Amino acid sequence: MKNNKYIIASLLVVTMTTGCEKFVDYAPKEDFQITSDDYLKTSDDYQKMVVACYSPLQWLWANPVIGDIASDNSVSGGENATDQIGFQEIDNYQITANNGNLTEAWKSCYEGINRVNYLEENKTKLDFVGKDALYGEIYFLRAYYYFELVRMFGDVPLFVDKRLGVSDSKGIPRTAKADVYKQIELDLNNAIAANLPNVRVAAEPGRITKYAAQALLGKVLLYQGKFDAAAAMLENVVNGPFSLVTNFGNVFLQAGENGTESVFEIQYSNISPFYDWSNPGRGQGNLAVQVCGIRNITGSSPYGEGWSTNLPTVNLANAYAAGDTRKAVTILDIEAYKAANPQFNIKYTVAPYRNTGLYNQKYLPRKGETSGQVELNYLNNYRTIRYADVLLMAAEANNRATTPNDTKAQGYLNRVRQRAFADQLHNITSTGTALRQAIWDERRLELAMEGDRFFDLVRTGQAAAKITGFMVGRNEIFPIPQQEIDISGYTQNPNYN
Amino acid sequence: MKGKITSIFLMIFLCCALFVRGQDLTVSGKVTDESGETLPGVSVRIKGATGGTQTIANGTYAIKVPSAQTVLIFSYLGYSTQEVAVNGRTTLDINLKVDQTSLQEVVVIGYGTQKITKVSGAISTVKGADIEKLNPVRAEDAVQGRASGVTVISPGSPGAKPTVLIRGIPSYTGTDPVVVVDGSIQSLDDLNSINAADIESINILKDAATTAIYGVKGGNGVIVVTTKTGRKNQKNEFTYGSSYGQQEVVSTIGVLNATEYGAILNEGSVASGGAILFPNLSALGVGTNWQNQIFENAALQSHNLTARGGSEKLSYFVSGGYLGQDGIVGGGSKSYFNRANGTVNLSFDLTPKLKFIANTSFVNIKGAGVPENSINSVISNALNFDPTVSIFNTVPNTYGKYSISNTILSEIYNPLTQLDDTYNESNTNKLYGKLELQYDVLKNFKITSRYGYTNTDVSTKSFNPLSFYGASHINSTLNADGTPRPGSHNSVAEGKINYYNFTFEQFGNYNFKISEDHSFDVIGGFSLAKVTGNAINGSRQDVPFNSWEFADISAATGIAQTSGLSVGSYQYERRNLSYFSRINYDYKERYLASFSARRDGSYAFGENNKFANFFAGSLGWVVSSESFYKSDFFDFLKLRGSYGVTGNENVNPQFQRISTDIYSYNLGQNAGYTFGNNATSIGATIASFRNDNLGWEKQKQLNAGFDLRFYKSKFSLTADYFEKNISGLLFTPSLSLYLGTASSPTSNIGTTKTSGVDMNLGYNDQIGDNFKIGTNFAFTTAKNKVTETNNGLIQGGNYGIPNQTVTRFEKGFTPGYFYGYQTAGLFQNQAEIAASPTQANAQPGDIKYVDINGDNVIDANDRTKIGDPFPTFTLGWGLNFEYKGFDFNTFVYASVGNDIYRAYERNLAMTNKFRGVLARWTGEGTTNDARNPRYSFTDGNVNSRVSDRYVEDGSFAKIKNIQLGYALPASLLKSKTISRIRVYAQVKNAYTFTKYSGYDPEIAGGIFDSGIDRGAYPQARTYSMGIDVKF
Repeated sequence: MKNNKYIIASLLVVTMTTGCEKFVDYAPKEDFQITSDDYLKTSDDYQKMVVACYSPLQWLWANPVIGDIASDNSVSGGENATDQIGFQEIDNYQITANNGNLTEAWKSCYEGINRVNYLEENKTKLDFVGKDALYGEIYFLRAYYYFELVRMFGDVPLFVDKRLGVSDSKGIPRTAKADVYKQIELDLNNAIAANLPNVRVAAEPGRITKYAAQALLGKVLLYQGKFDAAAAMLENVVNGPFSLVTNFGNVFLQAGENGTESVFEIQYSNISPFYDWSNPGRGQGNLAVQVCGIRNITGSSPYGEGWSTNLPTVNLANAYAAGDTRKAVTILDIEAYKAANPQFNIKYTVAPYRNTGLYNQKYLPRKGETSGQVELNYLNNYRTIRYADVLLMAAEANNRATTPNDTKAQGYLNRVRQRAFADQLHNITSTGTALRQAIWDERRLELAMEGDRFFDLVRTGQAAAKITGFMVGRNEIFPIPQQEIDISGYTQNPNYN
Repeated sequence: MKGKITSIFLMIFLCCALFVRGQDLTVSGKVTDESGETLPGVSVRIKGATGGTQTIANGTYAIKVPSAQTVLIFSYLGYSTQEVAVNGRTTLDINLKVDQTSLQEVVVIGYGTQKITKVSGAISTVKGADIEKLNPVRAEDAVQGRASGVTVISPGSPGAKPTVLIRGIPSYTGTDPVVVVDGSIQSLDDLNSINAADIESINILKDAATTAIYGVKGGNGVIVVTTKTGRKNQKNEFTYGSSYGQQEVVSTIGVLNATEYGAILNEGSVASGGAILFPNLSALGVGTNWQNQIFENAALQSHNLTARGGSEKLSYFVSGGYLGQDGIVGGGSKSYFNRANGTVNLSFDLTPKLKFIANTSFVNIKGAGVPENSINSVISNALNFDPTVSIFNTVPNTYGKYSISNTILSEIYNPLTQLDDTYNESNTNKLYGKLELQYDVLKNFKITSRYGYTNTDVSTKSFNPLSFYGASHINSTLNADGTPRPGSHNSVAEGKINYYNFTFEQFGNYNFKISEDHSFDVIGGFSLAKVTGNAINGSRQDVPFNSWEFADISAATGIAQTSGLSVGSYQYERRNLSYFSRINYDYKERYLASFSARRDGSYAFGENNKFANFFAGSLGWVVSSESFYKSDFFDFLKLRGSYGVTGNENVNPQFQRISTDIYSYNLGQNAGYTFGNNATSIGATIASFRNDNLGWEKQKQLNAGFDLRFYKSKFSLTADYFEKNISGLLFTPSLSLYLGTASSPTSNIGTTKTSGVDMNLGYNDQIGDNFKIGTNFAFTTAKNKVTETNNGLIQGGNYGIPNQTVTRFEKGFTPGYFYGYQTAGLFQNQAEIAASPTQANAQPGDIKYVDINGDNVIDANDRTKIGDPFPTFTLGWGLNFEYKGFDFNTFVYASVGNDIYRAYERNLAMTNKFRGVLARWTGEGTTNDARNPRYSFTDGNVNSRVSDRYVEDGSFAKIKNIQLGYALPASLLKSKTISRIRVYAQVKNAYTFTKYSGYDPEIAGGIFDSGIDRGAYPQARTYSMGIDVKF
């Protein structure tokens, strides 16, 4: 009897104990949290994860701004010497490793790469219709992110197999630039080989097409000096279903987004407004637009106010020949505009710092194109690769090929010039190095304020001659972010210490 | 064994023999205290025998004694025990004296109490009487400087939570100690709800021996709050206390007046190639000092009514209180903390063996606040705003009550407009307490079942109106004519949060003795604890009339399609399961030992690490009880030592979360994308890393100390040395940036080491019949060092625009130290610049930085330790006098060695400047003080970078309290009901001795934010009057 008591008591203790131990079990579902264990079980999950691979493209809003400020196209502007400090440093060629814009570019590209890599890691988990094309899209995106990294920072850590985890922190060395390019080429070739559509149906403009992959591959080859391959690759796009928009200015209006000249555009939107000032560039809006706006502009002009940053230089304005319709599209001379349009009753604050009186009209904030927190939600797409760019790249590749084809090069170049001047009188007839210089100059005029100028100058060896403060052997690339140096223990790029 | 049985028999025999021989002599009498009040519940025992009685409600007793030579022992908590020989008398009235030596005191420890002389761990105690004297808003104020081993950094904002560190900074993930109120576990946040008048005592458990019984929660120390209860057979006793005071700001910061401002701006503009901005300086006059406009005198009042008493089977304590504190920034309409409390503590004897205890408290807190301690705070705006404009808007036909600045067009704006446009309120209803059953299974074996609970409902509302700071000001949402700017909306946000926490504990408590001299006190049990939070919140744009009166989601008109209406919710739950046990042992109260073991399970850790065990033990030796101990001077000496393990689980489960958010605030993990003009496509991405190996922080603590009383026990000295080693520190690491932007997981990385000394020296004496003196020093020091961070370091302490970080948690340094450039004066001329390490853009008059790494270039690698926000030591000094009816007490708190980083200076070209700029460098040889470089709008040298230029010594000594009271003599109290009336006058924060140039050197915050003054809310000086009545 006494024994029974003990048995019952101990049974009680045991059941209570085991029952209790469940009390401290935890499943994220209790808090309505979805985890990776719940995911990638349907094709819809894959679709969604591919969408998220595009998102970091939007966070790269500052890259094109840097591409012009670092060049002879524009100055930092801003409110004062410490406003938009990241851009100021670049403009002054006193670039520090703590540059916030560079750090953000680095982080954003790697977030994109890791998102792609997670899908790579789970490629065999499920088969479904259309999977090939989806993977084509993400290979393009990974190539795009690595290309941004390699042309900005040189040798960078390279990894493609999986999304990195905590244990991979600090362990990945920098890979030589040439090998990074190899991977970019591989990804783009895989994207081209995948079942990507040639054009996107109206339903989803901005999705990657085969032509976008070919155009980017052409650009990547050009950056490596592989002109034969570049010429061949770009030829595909030149012969694609694209055309130059007759009125150059229309390209940069909302109505001109994803138009016939568009090969690839990073999509921005004001449909889902963003309010987060702690990460102002990570929403759906294009912060580069707000940044370059005219300070405190009022009146009935189409322009909205902004922060007077990324102001075109007089040097750029003077580069346009008389009759070049691109000048007015690229540059807004605010005083001239105000005088010419008294009916708008324009008032504005003169740019307080490094004023040039000129504004980046291709991407100026325009009324009605933002929403929510107005600064953060401009819808203006970044025209990443235009058909005109493809023509000029093809022209350069043909001119610089092992067996140059200057006739073809002239043809492509002059298509761009004919649109700009609306006549044939300004055609280029030179050949050889003179033609090459003409193509390079044309790239500046056609693509000014679209973010490629600095990289073009570096790539073509003109940087030291054209940019004040540029130091050969240092400024071809930017410094690796200090945080990454501190944590991952990398050696800084040459001459940045 | 045989011997033991024999002795028990012998004892029984002896007892019987005593009774048999007894002649049934009865002694009776009355027990009173020094003031003549009768004392019910006093224990009356016969020396050398078991059994006894207690005094009843009127303080009388009657006891049968065996012989005329019997000695009676009268004992009562808090009073000196008296032994009185009967000597044949049948009436024996006793007058008990308050125990000055406190040797009979008990302290509340985990799951029980312990006589203080038997304690071998490290405990600090703050008594209710001291707390009442201070009359604090929050209980922690009373702990500051009174409990050794505890560092409290108090904020100035009404009702705000202070930083409380018990024995240094062991952990990175949170330093808050556990708070146990009458046995139920709460958090430091809950201490805003407890009426100081309800507190009987606060005990702070510091070493592993005392905290290990709280296991994984005990790592940061434990604050045990005991509220008042009634006693059995206690006469009903009522108290009423009331005080009213006025608070004021103690000092203002030196900013430039309008003329000085104009002159400096002219200089800055010219130096950077600009024009003279203020051609006519003399017209500017002194202008407006905005600090004088935002600070107001504010009321602080409290009223308390308590009652306690008891009958044979029931005892009770009931109280009601109200405390209202208005804020000095903007006055009571914009910031306040109003608290109403009601408490009922009941204890019933249901049967002789079964006792039921119900403690119930209800609290209502109403609060409102203003933006503080940031660049957008009211104080920051007052410091940095344009001094040249008048207070009120004098421009006819323009919008706005207050003036605007035509030169400051971003970030900084009129602080009065900001105050006017600040609307928020919160209403908290909280019910907490415990239900407890105690069952005496045997005489010495008690089982306790306790359910402690806290239910908190918080409703919040805030309104963000459209504001006008100037037509060209980027933060304006209104045009100059009062119409909204395009795309601007006002908005109202509402939230409802429910927190429900419970602790369900079952434990048994068994006391026994072996051979009379060996005492054991054994406890064993288990507990289940759950913490839950559940919130729903929403916000809506377009409140009618841009008015607070209509600020409600139901009245606003924003719609979801344009993001004018949004809703959100969240919930969380934390669960713990623990088994615990402890044995306390003593031999003749001379040799002491204690051992505790605990097994803890937490929901937050992975499968492999769900449970962990914690052990601790302590030993004590009361040397003065030894027969060989002979000292007339040192009355009492006890040596103590302990060692054990506790933990910390301040972490959430770490899993690989999928986010489908288009964007998530603060994280920047946008997972959507918009193709063309289509609706945004929902994307999905991994938003956090997982960490399967997550375990707990383990803290090993060694403690060695002694308690000493000397000179007729008038002096007491307690000192402890401790050493804590923490491993597996829960820590969010800085990961390689190439891992992307997913949230870093918490990991067990890093170790820290903390060591220090706590000391308490007291002196209490009565000189003559009427003069009493008491003084007490509490000394606290702790050295903290991060000994390992195997995965990087953590930066924090963000401030300014663009954002900079000041503080670091890094191997080889103290946690949260200031990190930046060291200055070495100013460059006096070009030659000096040329001769110094390369420093980009330096000009004469710019700050010269130290080339720490010696590579002849000044860059980010030259940053180093430039300060430490935590004090080297703190000291509290209390002094009390009593003379006849008068009493005086004062309390001084000193903190030495804490640095402050001055981060409230915005330094835009057009913002106001601080007086230091008047001593700026103006040419070779004018000054070499790195705090005062040349002034220019452009700052190519980045003189504003994080450097020791902004670090100041924040050491201070504050006269926290001065109080003078007078109790009316009994002769004046003609009423029979009123037994005592005392009136008093009090000054809090009377004066601060410090070199710090800001408002207040006490700047609370976490590890990364303590000591960074972004315009922190200063503590007010309070003058108050009060009255205490007892009846």
